[in-house]
Amino acid sequence: MFIQTLVTGLAIGGIYALMAVGYSLVFSVLNFSNFAYGSIIMLGAYAGYYILTQMGQPLFVAVLAAIIGSAILAYANEKIAYSSLRRRNASSLYFMISAMGTAIFLENLVYATIGSRFYAFPEVLTRQNLNVLGTSLGILDAFAIVFSSVAIYGLHWFLQNSKMGIAIRAASYDMQVSQINGVNINRLIGLVFLLAGALAGISGVFLGMKYMVYPTMGWITNKAYIAAVIGGLGSLPGAVVGGLLLGVLETFVSAYISSAIRDVFSFSLLVVLLLVMPSGLFGKYLEEKV
Amino acid sequence: MKSKWIALAILAVFALTLVGCGGAKQEDVIKIGHAVALTGDSSMWGIAEKNALEMEIAKINAAGGVLGKKLQLIAYDTRADATEAVNVTKRLVSQDKVAAIIGPGQSGVAIAMSSVTEPGKVPMIGTTPTNPKVTVDDKTNQVRKYSFRTCFIDPFQGTVAAQFATKELKAKTAAVVYDVGSDYSSWLGKYFIEEFTKQGGTIANNEAFRSGELDFRAILGKVKQANPDVIFIPTMQKEAALVMKQARDLGITAKFLGGDGWGSPDLITLGGSAVEGSYFVNLASLDDPDIQKWIADYKAKYNQEPVLPNPVMAVDGLLAVVDAIKKANSADPVKIAEQLEKTKDLPVLTGKLTIDPKTHNPLNKPAVMQEVKGGKFVFKSKVVTQ
Repeated sequence: MFIQTLVTGLAIGGIYALMAVGYSLVFSVLNFSNFAYGSIIMLGAYAGYYILTQMGQPLFVAVLAAIIGSAILAYANEKIAYSSLRRRNASSLYFMISAMGTAIFLENLVYATIGSRFYAFPEVLTRQNLNVLGTSLGILDAFAIVFSSVAIYGLHWFLQNSKMGIAIRAASYDMQVSQINGVNINRLIGLVFLLAGALAGISGVFLGMKYMVYPTMGWITNKAYIAAVIGGLGSLPGAVVGGLLLGVLETFVSAYISSAIRDVFSFSLLVVLLLVMPSGLFGKYLEEKV
Repeated sequence: MKSKWIALAILAVFALTLVGCGGAKQEDVIKIGHAVALTGDSSMWGIAEKNALEMEIAKINAAGGVLGKKLQLIAYDTRADATEAVNVTKRLVSQDKVAAIIGPGQSGVAIAMSSVTEPGKVPMIGTTPTNPKVTVDDKTNQVRKYSFRTCFIDPFQGTVAAQFATKELKAKTAAVVYDVGSDYSSWLGKYFIEEFTKQGGTIANNEAFRSGELDFRAILGKVKQANPDVIFIPTMQKEAALVMKQARDLGITAKFLGGDGWGSPDLITLGGSAVEGSYFVNLASLDDPDIQKWIADYKAKYNQEPVLPNPVMAVDGLLAVVDAIKKANSADPVKIAEQLEKTKDLPVLTGKLTIDPKTHNPLNKPAVMQEVKGGKFVFKSKVVTQ
């Protein structure tokens, strides 16, 4: 039972981590909570579902389409909702309000056009189990963990080694100085949103396959925000660790204490952690920034 | 010069407002309020309710209306949220001055709404709020004077489910997985447990989760260890489908049993093969021979099947209100409530409606036992309360 709970927790945490990384990426550069991220994930899930079931394409194509679709949406989101605020040097509060508005708009757009019904992905991958150390791990979960790790590692590699990646990291320290040094901030921010959107597409398809697809599914990103704060806002390794930690903790609380007070625990952890370590587990540079 | 224009503009606005007021005043209609979830997780039932009421009202109006007046439906979205519902109820009672309110479908929402309808003295006829507290105030044990419903109540539903588990499924042990954030779910679970233990069964697990939960595997791990014969899941279709799916993934072989919250085709599309062979108590069935003509009409008009049971419960409520208006010979909400209490053997969609004046619950309301078989809800048996 202990190992089963741990495996289940890691599988849930993997998805939290994936969402938290995309969210943290935007935070690290623009320094605001992009609450529209959940809606982008939701639309990614719808796109994947549509390609898979209505157009009869294989899973690989559906995931790819969700990635591309969400990336474009996230990019458009930035251009429409944030770029004009950015040009006017608005404070991050306005960005957050704009993000919330976008989230509510997109959610209601889906209600009005597609409707409020729940959709489930076909049961191809979901009904098979792997045996790991005498516990059952869903093949989908295993796949999600591997795929998330690859995506997160790929992003990490890109940020560390590519020219654009270095520019993103530079901008996350100080946007103005990097601009003075010749970084095209508009292009850079566009790229950040494309990358975060791509991660949202992957998260959406996995969430949809694991649970189901519906207009308010984006609210699960609340957990990604907590994971990102636990890990240290803006820190990508922090987001991964925070996500896994939160997933495992929640599962243990549900299994050994009660599922009903699970969120009490996660939020208490958040409060206690912020009291002890105000910048999260890996959030060193945020202090430097201040 | 400028101030003159401003004064003129203000005058014009006033004049327009007066004209507007005059135009909106319509003495020749009887307004029927409808407080319903038109968006959100419960909206598929809400929209079906609204469709059904519009269809029925069009029929009544075509036949000359009630007391020579046309009926007008005013439907507001509650999003199945108590706060939102209280707001729209205030609007229906004080602004629109409706004769009666049909809905809501959720127990918690109905209890919240009664804080407006009771002092406002407007009858509210719930469609599917099955918790006893909806019509009877549990603090004073007095019936709420303006709260009614057309559905059976949870103690009955819990009893039916528990007896079905012990007698038909021959279950000795049961697990309950319920939503602690929902009055409907937690009380239905409680009534099931009471009857199941009374029948000699043992409750192996009683597991709570929070509303909005998506992953149940942590609690299902515990259920798997206890290995019960049956798992009772008194939730809405979304949670039920997820619980069943994840339980089967974990290798749990117990039979599944649920309440009327399952009665949406979504249960099957979401749960897939995991929900096959599960049973649930429902208020109405698409196979019911009494409502075949109505279903055909609905399909012809909206090009889809009604999502039962809410639309038929809403039509039952509307027919009860129309009958009360006729008997009271008035559209005064207080008089309508007085007549509603006396409703006896009124022919409605689901049979004959008699309201118990002591509890404002319908008497002799049948429950339908349904099985999920071959991706469809199959009628299993019918049970009537006494």
